[in-house]
Amino acid sequence: MTGPSAPLALTAHLALVSSISFGGFPTVLPDVHNFVVGTHGWMTDQDFANIFAIAQSIPGPNMILMMSFVGWKVWGFPGAVASAFATFGPPCTIYFASYRLWNRFRDAPWQQIVRLGLVPVIMGLVVASGTVMARAADTSWPAVALTIGAAAIALATRLSPMWMLLAGAALGGFGLL
Amino acid sequence: MTGLAQRQELEQAVPLAALFTAFLAVSLYGVGGASGIVWARRIAVEKRRWISDREFADIVSLCQFMPGPNIVGIAVCVGAKMRGTIGTIAAVSGFLVIPWIIGLAVGLFFLEYAHLTVLRNILGGIAATAAGLLIATGLRLLLPHRRRPAALLFAVLAFGLITFAKLSLLAVLFGLVPLSIAVAGIERARAR
Repeated sequence: MTGPSAPLALTAHLALVSSISFGGFPTVLPDVHNFVVGTHGWMTDQDFANIFAIAQSIPGPNMILMMSFVGWKVWGFPGAVASAFATFGPPCTIYFASYRLWNRFRDAPWQQIVRLGLVPVIMGLVVASGTVMARAADTSWPAVALTIGAAAIALATRLSPMWMLLAGAALGGFGLL
Repeated sequence: MTGLAQRQELEQAVPLAALFTAFLAVSLYGVGGASGIVWARRIAVEKRRWISDREFADIVSLCQFMPGPNIVGIAVCVGAKMRGTIGTIAAVSGFLVIPWIIGLAVGLFFLEYAHLTVLRNILGGIAATAAGLLIATGLRLLLPHRRRPAALLFAVLAFGLITFAKLSLLAVLFGLVPLSIAVAGIERARAR
């Protein structure tokens, strides 16, 4: 078991890294891994990998949940709650303040220029993260076809994504991928 | 009544409960992390018509540039836009509270049964579909910019540097965005 200072150290560290996780929480995962597995030895490499895989595959705020599983390992339920707050609290404050600021200048000419420059880059990144996900998920040609099919249907129709996800789950469940 | 006043009245009228349930749905449907943006767009833009595609693209871009789990940022911004501080609290609570409790329970259960093949296959099928949906959402939000060659160039560069050159997200963000904004500024100055 760990000493009484462990939950505090974990919470403080998570609050710090969540405040600097530019580009999303996954960018600081290597650091969190070093902190909990390397520096403190609160869990094994295998534990960390399992927690990551599960956080990716359950619905909900998955990085917050992943850090809650880490907190759970260190200090049970209170650790899970403290880790969740440390993960979403600081960024939410920053989001709120920056949205207020952004909105105040919404009609300023400089903001329209920023928007014209910013949005295409970000959308390129969104497509890239879809492709990175596809690379990890598409281990066979039928799975590649499924990814392409889902993208095509989503672009061409307004069919609810839920039907496509259910179809994907069924195809996978019957071992067709 | 002017269009703006009408719109403001509409924004006033969005109940807090609607913000809560909308982001509860975004959270619960968003399997596999990044696909949360797919559902946030589906619900806030297509179903509830709270914001336009353009505003949604703005919010996503703003959130991507800030630290943190950026789907939560979408809840923060849409909540703030519709109802101010209290709207943010409603949207973020909807996004987090119930899904967190369910997710924690399901996750601790999964940790016990992570080895089952059927479970893995189902998750694999979901992940492959979610990847396609995410690609489609990015392309759709890029559509308003399709007539600007510079926009397409920077979108393709961002995509390629991550996918093929495997640069870090941070490097791509801070390397490309200032350039892209500078080019947009020059275009704007020339158009004058």
